[in-house]
Amino acid sequence: MRGRVHTIGLRELIFNLQDFYLLSYRASLGIIRRPFYIKDTIEQMDYAGAGSFFIVVLISLFVGMALSLQISAELSTLGLKMYTGKIVGISIIRELGPVVVAVVYAGRVGSGIASELGSMVLGHQVDTLRVFGVDPTRKLVTPRIVSALLMLPVLTIIGDAVSLLGGYYIAVNVAHQSGTFYWSSIREVLDFENVFSGILKPFVFGYLIANICCFMGLSTQGGAVGMRRSTTRAVVYSMIVIVITDFVLTRALLYILGFSV
Amino acid sequence: MIEFDHVSFAYGANHVLQDLSLSIGFGERVAVLGGSGDGKTTILKVILGLIKPDAGRVLIDGEDITTRDEEGLREIRMKFSMVFQEGALFDSLTVKENVAFCLREYTHLSEEDIDRKVRDILSMVGVEAAMHLMPEELSGGMHRRVALARSLAAFDPKMFLYDEPTTGLDPINADNICRLILDLAHNGKGYIVVTHKVVDALKLAERFLFLKSGVIFFDGGREELMTTADPDIRRFISELNYGTDTHGEDFPS
Repeated sequence: MRGRVHTIGLRELIFNLQDFYLLSYRASLGIIRRPFYIKDTIEQMDYAGAGSFFIVVLISLFVGMALSLQISAELSTLGLKMYTGKIVGISIIRELGPVVVAVVYAGRVGSGIASELGSMVLGHQVDTLRVFGVDPTRKLVTPRIVSALLMLPVLTIIGDAVSLLGGYYIAVNVAHQSGTFYWSSIREVLDFENVFSGILKPFVFGYLIANICCFMGLSTQGGAVGMRRSTTRAVVYSMIVIVITDFVLTRALLYILGFSV
Repeated sequence: MIEFDHVSFAYGANHVLQDLSLSIGFGERVAVLGGSGDGKTTILKVILGLIKPDAGRVLIDGEDITTRDEEGLREIRMKFSMVFQEGALFDSLTVKENVAFCLREYTHLSEEDIDRKVRDILSMVGVEAAMHLMPEELSGGMHRRVALARSLAAFDPKMFLYDEPTTGLDPINADNICRLILDLAHNGKGYIVVTHKVVDALKLAERFLFLKSGVIFFDGGREELMTTADPDIRRFISELNYGTDTHGEDFPS
């Protein structure tokens, strides 16, 4: 019996993965092929970008302050407090900034995508689109992918800047370091390798989050319980994929950019 | 002509349609009756190619639609106008934008022309005043009317498909929707109405299909329906004895 359950689970997983890749492929084709749903894309960008601005700023600010606090506390015991800016800068730009903003995006925008598409499925709105001859993938998924591809990097840059400001506030007012030295350390770490690494990640995260959440939303079945399940799965799977992809990308980027580990 | 040729469909272990064979002409007025989960709505979805049967063929004007992809089905779907249960209006669009959806998608009409056409269609179904409201601001009856209006604006269909058009409505609103459905069919266009309300089915249809567990166990006209000895159908028809407006005097008998 247990073996049978595993077989069904595996088959379902394979079918789901196949459907997921097909959806991603078709939606990605929509980026370069007509029809283009510009208005829908702008609406999604407004919801995802402008709508997430405040929460990204708030979370990034406190992440930057907490990080700066931790690092300066640890480094002061070693007499190396002057490296606070450099370590905060590298941590934020390469790693924490993209991951934190992506997680916030998955939680706020991703859950919204899954629940909105889920309710459209349950309310027959997706079927209505198909009856009207409109491809739901192009109309609903592609704009959300484009929006994530454009908005997540922008939000990440904003989040990084705010985190660095938060780190600066702690370094100067709590750890009593020189503000000028903090910013000059930050400028040092703003080289091509770090910036490239910090900008590439949000593109990949955005693409994955949008695809996962759209897929989960469009696969919704079974009323309110089904919608709760698909929304939860969308956020959880997105977060898992973010951290795994982050590790893979970090490893690959360190190798490509010539860092020795 | 719509033809089902030994069509079967199951949701997992739940066999919704079982070896179903039937023909429906585009000009017919058909009511599909049956209990919840007996496969009534599935019939409409199979006709539109929204779900593919597990076995059998579905022929629309002689063409098998079960082998067609989404692109190929578009041409088939344009022959029908579907109104889903509860209306399925797009939540994020106003009434006007809902009705104008297909006009914007498939025509190059100017905004003035779209506006005029939408007003005409909305006034035809009696909800012109709701033009700028959002779907959430509409009552159940208005919801259905707007959905009907949207389906009219879509294409010039050969046939209308209605999924539970009066479910959840009070008798007066349900009656109004039935009248509207009859009005829209004045030019000889047929429709298939899926419903579990015998009262409404009798107002609207000339042919009645009774589904039970995915099998058609009754296919006939009004007289046969009213005189059948089948206990399941009798139980359905007993609804008529509970003082609702039965056949409705103004409706064709």
